Amino acid sequence: MSGYTVTRADIDALKLVHPDVFDVRRKRAILAIVWAVVIGYVAISLWYFDVGRFLNASDRAWRLISAMFVWKDIETWQFANIYGAIAQTLAMAFLGTFMASVAALFLGFLAARTTMPFPFVRQIVRRILDVFRGVDQLIWGLVFVRAVGLGPLAGVLAIFISDTGTLSKLYSEALENIDRKQVEGVRATGAGPIKVMRYGYLPQVLPVFISQSLYFFESSTRSATILGLVGAGGVGMIIIERFRANLFDQVAFVVINVLICVFAIDWVSKKIRERYIGEQSH
Amino acid sequence: MLKIDRLTKSFKSRNAVNAIGLDIPEGQMVGIIGRSGAGKSTLLRMLNRLAEPTSGRIVFDGRDITALRGRDLLAWRATCAMVFQQFNLVGRLDVITNVMAGRLYHHNFVASMLQLFDDEDRARAIRALDRLGMAHTALQQADTLSGGQMQRVAIARALVQEPRILLADEPIASLDPLNAKIVMDALSAINREDGITVICNLHTLDTARSYCDRIIGLADGNLVFDGAPRDLTEAKAREIYGAESEEAFSEGLTSTTIGKPLPAAAMIAARPQYALGAAQ
Amino acid sequence: MSEAGFPGTLARSDTDPVAGFEAHRRQLAREKRAMNLLFAALFIAALATSIYVSRFYPDRLAAGIPRIFEYFGTILPHLEWQVLFEGRNEAGRATPGSIAYWFADFGTYVRLIVETIFMALTATLLGAAVAFVLSFPASKNLAPNSTVFWISRRFMEICRGVPEILYALVLVFAVGIGPIAGVIAIAIHTAGALGKLFAEVNENASMRPVEGIKSVGGNWFEQMRYGVVPQVLPNFTSYTLLRFEINVRASSIVGFVGAGGIGSELNRVISLYSDDRVIAVLILVVLTVTLIDLLSEQLRFYFIGKENLK
Repeated sequence: MSGYTVTRADIDALKLVHPDVFDVRRKRAILAIVWAVVIGYVAISLWYFDVGRFLNASDRAWRLISAMFVWKDIETWQFANIYGAIAQTLAMAFLGTFMASVAALFLGFLAARTTMPFPFVRQIVRRILDVFRGVDQLIWGLVFVRAVGLGPLAGVLAIFISDTGTLSKLYSEALENIDRKQVEGVRATGAGPIKVMRYGYLPQVLPVFISQSLYFFESSTRSATILGLVGAGGVGMIIIERFRANLFDQVAFVVINVLICVFAIDWVSKKIRERYIGEQSH
Repeated sequence: MLKIDRLTKSFKSRNAVNAIGLDIPEGQMVGIIGRSGAGKSTLLRMLNRLAEPTSGRIVFDGRDITALRGRDLLAWRATCAMVFQQFNLVGRLDVITNVMAGRLYHHNFVASMLQLFDDEDRARAIRALDRLGMAHTALQQADTLSGGQMQRVAIARALVQEPRILLADEPIASLDPLNAKIVMDALSAINREDGITVICNLHTLDTARSYCDRIIGLADGNLVFDGAPRDLTEAKAREIYGAESEEAFSEGLTSTTIGKPLPAAAMIAARPQYALGAAQ
Repeated sequence: MSEAGFPGTLARSDTDPVAGFEAHRRQLAREKRAMNLLFAALFIAALATSIYVSRFYPDRLAAGIPRIFEYFGTILPHLEWQVLFEGRNEAGRATPGSIAYWFADFGTYVRLIVETIFMALTATLLGAAVAFVLSFPASKNLAPNSTVFWISRRFMEICRGVPEILYALVLVFAVGIGPIAGVIAIAIHTAGALGKLFAEVNENASMRPVEGIKSVGGNWFEQMRYGVVPQVLPNFTSYTLLRFEINVRASSIVGFVGAGGIGSELNRVISLYSDDRVIAVLILVVLTVTLIDLLSEQLRFYFIGKENLK
């Protein structure tokens, strides 16, 4: 098996024949620089952001964590409030998404190239939708709390505005991706523009619309839980109130309940989409 | 010396490999034939311990292979190289790195995670590639190669493992006749020149006849033939292949072209003899 | 057995086939109508309950909507064309009605937006690193055993189940006000969210290279490093960039609970003042988010586009 031992001379001889194979300096240098930059950046930014605080905060953090898992005075927890707020969160998400779906039904048609013949109107609608989407839901929540006061109304409006922005865009994309032949067929029967929308477009896009709205209901319940942090109603208000009152065990309890709720809704909505829309889960 | 003792692999109620016993001396070129689903693949994968035997033992040089765990098991896999029907290369790495991966067992953890190979690994890899006529593709990405080229790279990877045994699971089933011949010639040369035991699953009879010292026939997981190619009668072969006899014997398939002289131009294009000779 | 049973069922159906079909069709239509009615009733019930629970009554809405327009009226900037581009005068004062007056705190905003972007970048890198490590044990096809699989899956679910702003709230309490709480909060959420996506990519990877590395005597880490990582890296990069876009948005709001970035300024401005400063900050935030989206989209196109060319 003499062929298997490799001597220095063998390597040198092979280097002469295949210089490019043995020249790994450049490749290694680039890799080393990339890694040095990434690790250097993370280290410096963490230092700049003062990561050292975590070392000093360990006993405070420990007290916090232990307070979360040792549940005291359970009889004073006002469960009706907690579950009422969770129900309110669901209601906010449901109303907000429903209203957004109705609005998106119109705005989607106005923003789609296939259904909106005037580019001017289309561009204006699209830019407004961009603003709706570009501002985070929580910021909308804060703005509406300032405008209409604390409570679920601000939350519903925040969900409505940000979901309208995203749903209208998705709806208009669905409208742009439809089969043109079916629309031609309806137009050929002599139907007016509204009837063409109703019989040519809607049957094709309705399943897509419903499935997207369901998906948004699901994601809105998740985001609605935090809207209360800025006072826009729902379970977030309970969380922040009790957190400020240092009732960490109750905060942990509420968060666990919200998580269970969100998982349940995810599951149900997945089942509905699979069963009735006949579509793979997102 | 590789001893297989009543090796069995059960799937649910069925025995894919049923109590097979074999003695394979060092340096033999063994062909395992049988129809698809006869248990050839399972047998080979158990030898490399990619599949766990249900019962029975594999003994190599007095060591019980079936009992190996942890690092000893990895060492055995490094000793017992394997070549696959679908090549099992890492398509998005370059050819030389694929071949050097055959040295992974000898690397420490940090070096292998950082993909740091030294000049010695490179030298071994390029020599193995050169031996198979593939050195010019060393820096190409592996998934840009043709099937026959990939299989030769896979054999090069097996070679740098410095194996005692080379297992080949249907190495030519996905290849055209010309490439099939190149690959079988390479396996045969490795067996002759390096004294490595080669155990090769083959779907077709002619290939086994023209390349192997010994033929083992499997049918439904049972050993039905074990002997020299000349002892394999047509009746026995029909028993092994059963309903698939026509396919295994028919003209125009991969098997039939092998062993016949190739057109000169194709020979020069492929240069297997040149490539294999050059390394010596 | 089905062949044997088939003639039997034929023999039993001795009625007229057309009538049978019609009856069946009517039955289906009835069932469908019943289902639709049921769904409609459920939907209306849910809607009514929702309106009741969130006290979303018409009078409240009617009272609220004018106030919304009123509010948006107060936060619009008062710009005058004559002095629009006028700079600050010698005393360092900006002319009312000019852009310079409107964006009086421009320097602060820019500093905070830069901090926001760096927070998002650090959090994305940290989270992606954790997600990368966790994604291999959390893939069904790659997990070395079911315990490791179960633990890593549950861990990732907890990480992504809780919104980042709640983590930020808790961390601000533990380590005090500042960007580090936001960075770690977003990193935790990113680890869970990206880990799930990475694991899905891993589960779609071809197992052949993994088997190849296993057959040469590579241990589990080497199987992952050589068999899986080269296959999945382009997708991982693309998902990480996408997550970076999301994290820029997240890091612009974690400041609401004191976890650094532009969010604290946004919260302060919206909560304390109702004048043109609100619109000024919002414009900068939207511009930043849009710009980051566009840049990252180009980058993703570069990575994936390059893949498609091969």
